[in-house]
Amino acid sequence: MAALTPAALPDVEPPARSGGRGRRGGIWRGVVLVVAALYFVTPLLASFVFTVNDPMTGFTLDAYGEIFTAEGFAQSLLLSLGLAVATIVLVLVLTLPAMLAVRLSAPRLRPVLEVLCTLPLVVPPITFVAGISTVLRWGPDYLAATPFYQTIISIQNPAFPVVLVIAYAVLALPFVYRALDAGLGAMDVRTLVEAARNCGASWPVVLLRVIVPNLKSGLASASFLTLALVLGEYTIARLLGFQPFSVWIVTISGANAPLSVAVSIFSLLLTWLLLLVLSTAGTRRSRS
Amino acid sequence: MVETTSTAPAPLPLNKRGRGGGRATTRSAGWTAALPLLVFIGLAFGIPAVALLGGAFTANGTLSTANLTESLQGAYLTAMLSSVKLSALVAVVGAVLGTFLAQAVVTSRFRALREAVLTASGVLANFGGVPLAFAWIATLGNSGVLTTRLGLGDLGWNLYSFWGLVLVYLYFSIPLMVLVIVPALDGLRPQWREAAQNNGATTWQFWRYVGIPVLTPTLLGGVVLLFGGAFAAYATAAAMVGTVVPLVTLQIADALAGNVLIGHENVALALSLDMVVVAGVVMAVYLPLQRRSARWLR
Amino acid sequence: MNGAQVEFRGLRRTFGTTVALDGLDLTVAPGELIALLGPSGCGKTTALRCVAGFETPDQGAVLLDGEDITRVPANRRDAGMVFQSYSLFPNLNARDNVAFGMRVRKVPTARRHARAAELLELVGLPSHGDRYPHQLSGGQQQRVALARALALEPRVLLLDEPLSALDAKVRVTLREEIRRLQLSLGITTIFVTHDQEEALSVADHVAVLREGRLEQSGPPAEIYDRPATPFVAEFVGTMNHLPGRLSGDLVEVAGQRLPVHGDRPGTPEVDVLVRPETVLVTPGEDGDALIVTSSFRGASVRLLLRLGDGTEIVADLPGHDAARFALGGRANVRLVERPVLVAARTPAAAAEAVSA
Repeated sequence: MAALTPAALPDVEPPARSGGRGRRGGIWRGVVLVVAALYFVTPLLASFVFTVNDPMTGFTLDAYGEIFTAEGFAQSLLLSLGLAVATIVLVLVLTLPAMLAVRLSAPRLRPVLEVLCTLPLVVPPITFVAGISTVLRWGPDYLAATPFYQTIISIQNPAFPVVLVIAYAVLALPFVYRALDAGLGAMDVRTLVEAARNCGASWPVVLLRVIVPNLKSGLASASFLTLALVLGEYTIARLLGFQPFSVWIVTISGANAPLSVAVSIFSLLLTWLLLLVLSTAGTRRSRS
Repeated sequence: MVETTSTAPAPLPLNKRGRGGGRATTRSAGWTAALPLLVFIGLAFGIPAVALLGGAFTANGTLSTANLTESLQGAYLTAMLSSVKLSALVAVVGAVLGTFLAQAVVTSRFRALREAVLTASGVLANFGGVPLAFAWIATLGNSGVLTTRLGLGDLGWNLYSFWGLVLVYLYFSIPLMVLVIVPALDGLRPQWREAAQNNGATTWQFWRYVGIPVLTPTLLGGVVLLFGGAFAAYATAAAMVGTVVPLVTLQIADALAGNVLIGHENVALALSLDMVVVAGVVMAVYLPLQRRSARWLR
Repeated sequence: MNGAQVEFRGLRRTFGTTVALDGLDLTVAPGELIALLGPSGCGKTTALRCVAGFETPDQGAVLLDGEDITRVPANRRDAGMVFQSYSLFPNLNARDNVAFGMRVRKVPTARRHARAAELLELVGLPSHGDRYPHQLSGGQQQRVALARALALEPRVLLLDEPLSALDAKVRVTLREEIRRLQLSLGITTIFVTHDQEEALSVADHVAVLREGRLEQSGPPAEIYDRPATPFVAEFVGTMNHLPGRLSGDLVEVAGQRLPVHGDRPGTPEVDVLVRPETVLVTPGEDGDALIVTSSFRGASVRLLLRLGDGTEIVADLPGHDAARFALGGRANVRLVERPVLVAARTPAAAAEAVSA
């Protein structure tokens, strides 16, 4: 036992080591960051070059101009944004009361909710759409004589396909659940609610004046994740035959390569912009 | 004595019932508030799931496993294996690279760099689908900017391949991993590293005995998330490789579009069921591993 | 095992524009427990981390038994350290935490476990080997951390505010146990703390640091009774600041003339520093002091009195005297005849003394 220490600490290293480690750490970090920057920036830059470089005429911004004049641009973009807003509202209206209830009065429901809200993660969108299209195809056959028939038809209205809102709400559930759960976890819901109730606030007031303001960052991130999901979602919309922005991009690009890439960059910038808007809105309001 | 001890708890149940009566209303209110969500999931998720399951086991109007058998043969099987291979590779490589990137950012002295990388990760992790494919086609496709300028085509470069897909899928997988792992890296306390050093451990020994074990639950979770993302991806692959690289999602879309023999329409549903089963198997492997690696948390 | 002598020689360390250590000179004798005491930012923790090897001084050296260890990497130093809190490896149970250093040194498992068990017994947790850190209370975690620090039989034990995150009661028992253990092992120990009571009660020597420099070093009683500077007097224990006037070798304060100890400022108007327990209070209807507040503390009672000229003064009396001093009553105040420290006049200090 006593022999342990002297044997284990026999020699003294030359002094250069500890300083050397810091420098080596710096080099390692630099290499990682440079490689990552190259990997992530190159496609964006190259895409941009691709869109503005015409082999005949040289530099041109025509591809970007074409986006806005292409047929269906505004219509599909508005449809996508409309779907996004509807999905966000639907999913929040459904999850927020349920999650509050689970924390306040039905804790035994919590594992159930957690599993249910995680399930869509296990189900790839394409399998989900396979299921949906089966229902939509078979539904009319079996329900022709019932009022459900009208419902099945009306949720597929191409002008505003409610079926997409429903599908997207399901896909967004895991992300919304996580974001709200983190937000609710960071505040003491029970005490807040009890304090508010004690001051005579009604349930709607509690929800809108106490919970929502305190949950701002959670709501903002839930909204952003849903927004990004809806704007980028292609599989379900395409296979059900609707044309929101993500599908429109593909339809119009056709043989025009610079245009299709320009639209891609445009959609990335759009996502970026919306993220910025949402995150600044979240922080600004919580600061005041 | 025995008498008193046995009667002593008697008031308790009464008490409990009394309190329970008060709670019962709030509890039912809780269920009421949760009900819309439960009903919604039941309808929007449950009905398609049942339709999928029913369809997968129905061939020519009768109950049968023919679709499933077919979905596990020939080209369908190849596509499934290729999908699993691609996703596993992307998941592991993405998790490792994402962790290194996150560590580089977390240990950096520059606060702005951290914020910038996290914001960029948030956007890029959602940068999937067709736009991602187009961006890479413009960069490294057959007539892409880099391909033509660097003459990569002559060197045998081909983006429309398995490895091309790996390269492109990593573009959204690495940022996703960064988002997942950064909180865990932030949770590694500097005291642990110092305490390890104080006990004679080298940097490597610290990571070997403390750092990596502490990160393992999060790493595993990240790998599973990345696997799921790559496995489910359809738009990017469809826009990039068409059918050059066989993938199960491409096969399903193809079958849904009606490109199957008459009477085999439900193969798409069987393939979908296969995918769900694979995802389920991944979960079944992951959950015990996760529990084991996180046993010190409980 | 035997403790080593630790010597700080002209230690200087700056972080950007902040000077953490500004030429610290201090020698710790073998086997002694020294407390580094001072307010936050005085450099005490930096000094400790220089011994552990987590900080490299810009100038000066740390010597262990006369040998310069300033540039030795942290993982090759012969000093065990206990951190403020949360330093246990969360993925290892108590036994493996204690045995960590031996694992790194490839000691066979059986011997490792035997030694860990021995150490856990030493810190009073013989049956907690299988618990993970989050299953242990704060006090238990620090005991395990202590066992881990001692596992490699270091010649120096470094304690970086190990008790500051604990409950008051646990803090007292644990500090006594640390002292008992330290005495029985005879290990040189450097104990960093900002809690003067803690420092006074366990240390052989207390070194008071201020702005990276040694202000005073000595046995606890000396630090308390004969503080070398007003800063030490102020930081250790409670002090009254009474307005006084220098005349010759004496200072005139509250109607008395007392000898002056230590430096005196240039101006005749000074603050006289008086400990509450050296204020003698006797009840009396004709007394010129009014009892403003009284707080009973069991063994003692602390009174705040207002003198005729408006000066407020804090006095500590034995607890059993409490009944003799009613709130709002009058009393006579005298100071014990002994040399006092004086300092340049600062406004309104009496109220601070009460809250301290």
